[in-house]
Amino acid sequence: MDLAIIEKIFAIVGGIIVFLVAVIAFWNDRKSVGIDNHVFKLMLVLLAVGAALAFFAAVGLLGNFPKAA
Amino acid sequence: MAVATLPHAQTADHGEVDRLYAETRDLRLNGFLLFLVSDVVLFSSFIFAYLYMRNTGQGWPPPGINRLDVAFAALNSVVLFGSGATMHYALENWKHGNFGRYAGLMVATIVLGAMFLCGQGYEYTTLYFREHVSWAGSGIFGASFFTLTGMHGFHVFVGVWYLTVLLLQSVHGVYTKQKYFGLTAGTLYWHFVDVIWVVLFSIFYLI
Amino acid sequence: MTVAAVHGGGIADHIHPEPQSFIRRYIFSIDHKIIGIQYIITGFVFLVLSGMLAELIRVQLMHANGGLVSNDTYNEIYSVHGSAMVWLVIIPLVTGGFGNFVMPLQIGARDVAFPWLNMLSFWMFPVAGLMLFSSFLIGAPVAGWTEYPPMSLQAGPGTSMWCAAIFLIGVSSTLTGINFLVTILKMRAPGMTFTRMPLFVWAQLATAPLSMVATTALAAALAALFIERQFGVPFYDPTKGGSPILWQHMFWFYSHPAVYIMILPAFGIISEVLPTFSRKPIFGYKMIAFSSVAIALAGFMVWAHHMFTSGLAPFLQLPFMILTFVIGVPTGIKIFSWMATLWGGKIHFTSSMLFAIGFLALFTFGGITGILLAAVPFDFHVHGTYFVVAHFHYVLVGGSLMGIFAGTYYWFPKMTGRLMNEFWGRLHFWLFFIGFNGTFLPMHWLGILGMPRRVPVYDPQFQGWNQFESIMSFVMTLGILIFFANLLVSIRNGKKGGANPWNARTLEWQIPSPPHYYNFKNIPAVYALPYDFSEPLPYTGLENELTDSPAPATAGAH
Ligand SMILES: [Cu+2]
Repeated sequence: MDLAIIEKIFAIVGGIIVFLVAVIAFWNDRKSVGIDNHVFKLMLVLLAVGAALAFFAAVGLLGNFPKAA
Repeated sequence: MAVATLPHAQTADHGEVDRLYAETRDLRLNGFLLFLVSDVVLFSSFIFAYLYMRNTGQGWPPPGINRLDVAFAALNSVVLFGSGATMHYALENWKHGNFGRYAGLMVATIVLGAMFLCGQGYEYTTLYFREHVSWAGSGIFGASFFTLTGMHGFHVFVGVWYLTVLLLQSVHGVYTKQKYFGLTAGTLYWHFVDVIWVVLFSIFYLI
Repeated sequence: MTVAAVHGGGIADHIHPEPQSFIRRYIFSIDHKIIGIQYIITGFVFLVLSGMLAELIRVQLMHANGGLVSNDTYNEIYSVHGSAMVWLVIIPLVTGGFGNFVMPLQIGARDVAFPWLNMLSFWMFPVAGLMLFSSFLIGAPVAGWTEYPPMSLQAGPGTSMWCAAIFLIGVSSTLTGINFLVTILKMRAPGMTFTRMPLFVWAQLATAPLSMVATTALAAALAALFIERQFGVPFYDPTKGGSPILWQHMFWFYSHPAVYIMILPAFGIISEVLPTFSRKPIFGYKMIAFSSVAIALAGFMVWAHHMFTSGLAPFLQLPFMILTFVIGVPTGIKIFSWMATLWGGKIHFTSSMLFAIGFLALFTFGGITGILLAAVPFDFHVHGTYFVVAHFHYVLVGGSLMGIFAGTYYWFPKMTGRLMNEFWGRLHFWLFFIGFNGTFLPMHWLGILGMPRRVPVYDPQFQGWNQFESIMSFVMTLGILIFFANLLVSIRNGKKGGANPWNARTLEWQIPSPPHYYNFKNIPAVYALPYDFSEPLPYTGLENELTDSPAPATAGAH
């Protein structure tokens, strides 16, 4: 199998897992207080966004645009 | 990691966190967050420089340079983002007194961080040897890409050592269930490194 | 977090013993008062050095054909003069110097939040200064304090040294900003709400985020310049696809806020000196406080007004022009508030007050020429001429440096326990004020007539005014020499001032001069603003400060 396919499969699966873990962690922490926890929650949201971006990049929806003329 | 219980188990009779610690912790926490803010500004300035140069040239990537390998970067990003998730749960387990799980997740974080660095090394060598793209020799593309990702890689490198030191410290009982600001700071730093990568990944590989 | 953060109080009970060895006490001290004085001494040393460079410039310009130094040396002299005045004199003096000494005392704290970091910040400063001045040995920077590429890319190795030196002082400034911000936000005495803080503290509060954020942006620009010079990685070189305009954006994104890093703390000093010597509450406390914050925020949105002639797109010129005009509004609010403070007051013309009033006149003048420069058509005419030189000397010397002098006369008794001599202080003021205006006022019309800055020779028609300026600059220098003589003599022989020679009301004057290592025996509680001169002092818990009652128990070192 092509190396790129394996990379993509791992990225897709990993992206889903990390996205879910980040969302669950955020949900579990949603009521926590204190500036550190608020920052953690913001970071978890951005982490979920990052995982989603990696997922979409791996499935080919993002980042595969043809080279600009 | 043979230690199964938290080091603070022996000294738990100290009871509630003392007020002095709560206050110095508050100062250090705010100071550390501001340090991270200034680091964000440092990255933002270079990101501004990159976007500025990108929009003054003739298209991107500039003529003669191929697009970056998105699939591999996505995989490598997932590795780094995964380390952010393990780090988060490492701190959670510390707060709940599960030293074994904490240590396991810390090791996982450090390994994933090191894997990311290896991936970046692989990407750099591929670019250099196969595509002949280099820092100083490929115009503004090489300048912006290697400077920004290199700066981030340096932060990851520092973070891997930082977390290793924190792990060793916690094994030696430096932190307790009540007093663990060092671990909070380490987690904040590692999350920061992750989130910077979300931005860098987007602007170098996705747009 | 189970225990909520409590301001001041708790830290109060935690006092480290005073170190006894000379080195730990005066050299590598972690006491904010000593560090503040170290900043002030070091800053004054660099003021002397940069002033000598300035006099070299003035001597060179005595004749239209120059003749004192070579053209290259002239470039080096004004480049290092500008860099040193900005980064080694004014910024360290107003933030690290007066900020360190005064701010923790005024908020009723025992020290800043991170004393060790404070010491580290200080020691970066003399090292950076030595690096900058030693660049003369290897060919100092020649492209002015702004170091525009491509010239800064082509110049000799001294420019890389300049990058490293300014980067280092930038790191120091950033760390100080973080330190002060946490200190002011978290360590105020009980009862000192934001609207009860002295205005000098407000000024530092508005300045600290600027030092933190803007300076980091400068660090990025400097790092890129250094990398490009040393490794040939193209950022700014247009022949390799880079953009010299990029440097201008990054540099001015720092350097416009840097103007406020230099002037806001001086505003703070003036806001303390004016009410004290008018014996009248400050007019418009909240307006002065909030306008500092407004200036700091707006200061991030106007940087491109330095780039109107650099090929900035016309549709961008208009918003940058208007936003710059808008900054004049909060600044004007301050000026009017200060004048209203003087109005009907019982004014004491001490040296400090003379400098504060001189500040009002000169800063307002410099501010108005700043508004003129922000107007795009006018800027096209005078950009790169002596009009610009005149403008920024009015705000930085007539503004910030006059503020520094006012602050020195004002807080010298608190630092040493002795007063500076008033006669020599007034003489200093008049020589400086007359000399300053004589030096820089004619530059306005020379600039409008077209005399370009940064050029070692000029059109002979300007020679008369230039000779006048040079002579007046000697008068100004004489004033500064008198100031330093007064300073040195007064440290040993000045009249004893006691705890509160000015009858001022902020917290630092309610404790002995110089203050004890631990500042306050008991941390006071605050229940009103410090500017109401007809009321009793708004503090409780200060009864023992001026008595011989024992110091609080000190905790063991750990
Ligand atoms: Cu400006």
